[in-house]
Amino acid sequence: MSRTAEGDGYAFEVLVGRHQTSVLNLIYRYVGDRTKARDLAQEVFIRVWRAAKSYAPKAKFTTWIYRITANVCLNELKSAKGKKLIQLEPEEGRPNSDYQTHLNASQSPEDILVGEESSRQISDALQSLPENQRMALILKRYDNLSYEEIAKIMECSISAVESLLVRAKRNLQEKLIFPEN
Amino acid sequence: MKCSQVQKRLSAFQDGELNAQEGQRVSKHLESCLACRERYIEMEKVWQALGDLNEITPEPGFYGELVKKINDSHETRFPAGFQWLFQFFSSPWATSTLLIAGILIGTFLGNILAKSDLFPFQQSQASHSQAAIEVFSLRAFDPVPPGTLGDKYLRMANYGEEGRR
Repeated sequence: MSRTAEGDGYAFEVLVGRHQTSVLNLIYRYVGDRTKARDLAQEVFIRVWRAAKSYAPKAKFTTWIYRITANVCLNELKSAKGKKLIQLEPEEGRPNSDYQTHLNASQSPEDILVGEESSRQISDALQSLPENQRMALILKRYDNLSYEEIAKIMECSISAVESLLVRAKRNLQEKLIFPEN
Repeated sequence: MKCSQVQKRLSAFQDGELNAQEGQRVSKHLESCLACRERYIEMEKVWQALGDLNEITPEPGFYGELVKKINDSHETRFPAGFQWLFQFFSSPWATSTLLIAGILIGTFLGNILAKSDLFPFQQSQASHSQAAIEVFSLRAFDPVPPGTLGDKYLRMANYGEEGRR
């Protein structure tokens, strides 16, 4: 990071390479749209580049970059309010490229379809969560961060994180296990 | 430990966020209480199901596109403290308001100047001097202004003898 702050392009490229997948996936899980996720991930790295000079290593670098990512996601949702931001349903007759991801070559077409359907259901359920619950849950489930780290990223208390996760899990339970309710 | 107490801490227990002592107490309770155990199993099912959400990989051109965006934004960046100006002028409302205001101000100033003595193109002044019209009319920019030798030659060439007269 210090080399990036000095304007070292190669160091920045290494930094992007190291964190792009986690940043991209955090955003993708949050907004549910691949193209939007790519644009927002680039916005995160633009902010990292600009803030590199003023970066003071008070916390872990991942905590810092995730905080930027969370802010970018929340700002995006605020600015997109009133618009239809999240496209969860693919166009008719066209597979949704958002779900064409790490597919195993040994999977049969049926497995792929089942996998995509399941992925879509999970994504739908995640998108239905309130913003803060969604962010806390994604950080816990997919990035395996501690409550303390999540609290730092979301700039709230540890007990608030616990409360967000309790409610998020309860909501997801209703969506995924008892969807008829 | 009561069921209500355990259920409040189940999520933290699942996430491994309880200290050893509290974790053990919850674990012990789950062994003996079917209702709490079922609740915990449901939570686990949801947690497992979330694992079905696929991961995406960045496209190969991700970094190149990022560098281009950084370079573009650097070129169009406003000096610190003046970003609000950029934001203001980039809004379509501000642009259209400024355009309308410009037209109105232009019309207003035009009317004032047309009535004032400062402006030489008005009708009343032109009537005082025909030369003024000639000077300020477009003919003044002709390659061969009327009355010059070149004009005479052109007339002769175009109209022959008639032009000579």
